[in-house]
Amino acid sequence: MNQQTLDKRLEETADRLIGIERTQENRVYLLCESENVYDVCRFLFDTLNLRFVITTGVDAEHCFEVLHHFADDECGCMVTVKAFVRDRENPELDSITPLIPGAEWIEREIHDILGIAFTHHPNLQRLILNDDWPEGVYPLRKEVQP
Amino acid sequence: MNWKLWSLKKSVWVFHVNTGACNNCDIEIVNLLTPKFDVERFGIKLVGSPRHADALLVTGVGTRQAALRLQEVYRQTSKPCVVFCMGACACGTGIFEGAYHVAGPVDKIVKEVDPNAIVAYVPGCPPKPEAMISGVVKALAAI
Repeated sequence: MNQQTLDKRLEETADRLIGIERTQENRVYLLCESENVYDVCRFLFDTLNLRFVITTGVDAEHCFEVLHHFADDECGCMVTVKAFVRDRENPELDSITPLIPGAEWIEREIHDILGIAFTHHPNLQRLILNDDWPEGVYPLRKEVQP
Repeated sequence: MNWKLWSLKKSVWVFHVNTGACNNCDIEIVNLLTPKFDVERFGIKLVGSPRHADALLVTGVGTRQAALRLQEVYRQTSKPCVVFCMGACACGTGIFEGAYHVAGPVDKIVKEVDPNAIVAYVPGCPPKPEAMISGVVKALAAI
C-alpha cells in the first residue's frame, strides 16, 4: 500500500476519531477517546494489515495518553493511535492483547509504572517492578517524586 | 602470603553478575574472552557458578530486584574473593542516581553482607577491555 492509498483508507475510521495529526509525511497520529481504541486498532491491524510496533504511555498531567504505534512496512509510514485516558483516579483502557498477543507485556509494563488498568487483559500481573514494591504506587506518574 | 591468596592471584576464575546493566558492559566483558584480548592466557577464566569463582564481575546499577540476588551470589562465592564493579553504573549508580528502581551502587549492596569485602572499581560507560584488564591487574597487585 502506498502513502496515498493509506491516507485514503485511514479516512474510513474517521468517525471514531477526534482528529488526525500529521507531523511528517510518513508520521500520522490518530487521536481518539479511550472507548474507541480497540475498534481503531482492530481496523489498523485486521483490515489494513499494519504491523504492531510498541505501545507507549505518557502522563500528560491532565490525562494519561496511551499511544499504540503501528507501521506500514511497504510505504514506511508510522500510524500512531493516541488514546486519551481522562479519568486520573481510576484510569482504564480497553486492552488490545485479545487482538494482538504481542501487546501483552508492554501493557503489563504500563500498568506497573503508570497504573492504567487494561480491561479484558488476560494476565495483568506485575512485570518489571521489584517484588516488594508497594501496591498502588506508580513511579512514573508526575505526582510521585523519588 | 597465605596459600589461599596465592591461589586466588595465580589464576582468577570469575563469575559474571548482571545487576541491571544495559548489556554494554556485558558485551565488553565477553570481548575480553575473544581471541583479540584472550584473558585466559593470564589464567582469567569465566566460570558458570559463584562457588567456583575467585572474583565477581558485577555490571549494572544494582536494582532493587537484583540486590538480594547479588547478596546471595556473594555469600555463595568462595572466600577470599574480589568484587569488580565494571562500569559507571556499578561504581556509583551513574545516570540512574536517585531513580525509583535503584537499591544503591554495587559496593554498598555487597558491604551490607560483608563490610570487609574487597571491592575494585573500573569506571567507564562501558569501560574498554584494556581498562578492565588494567583494573584486574592493579587490584590483584594491591591485595
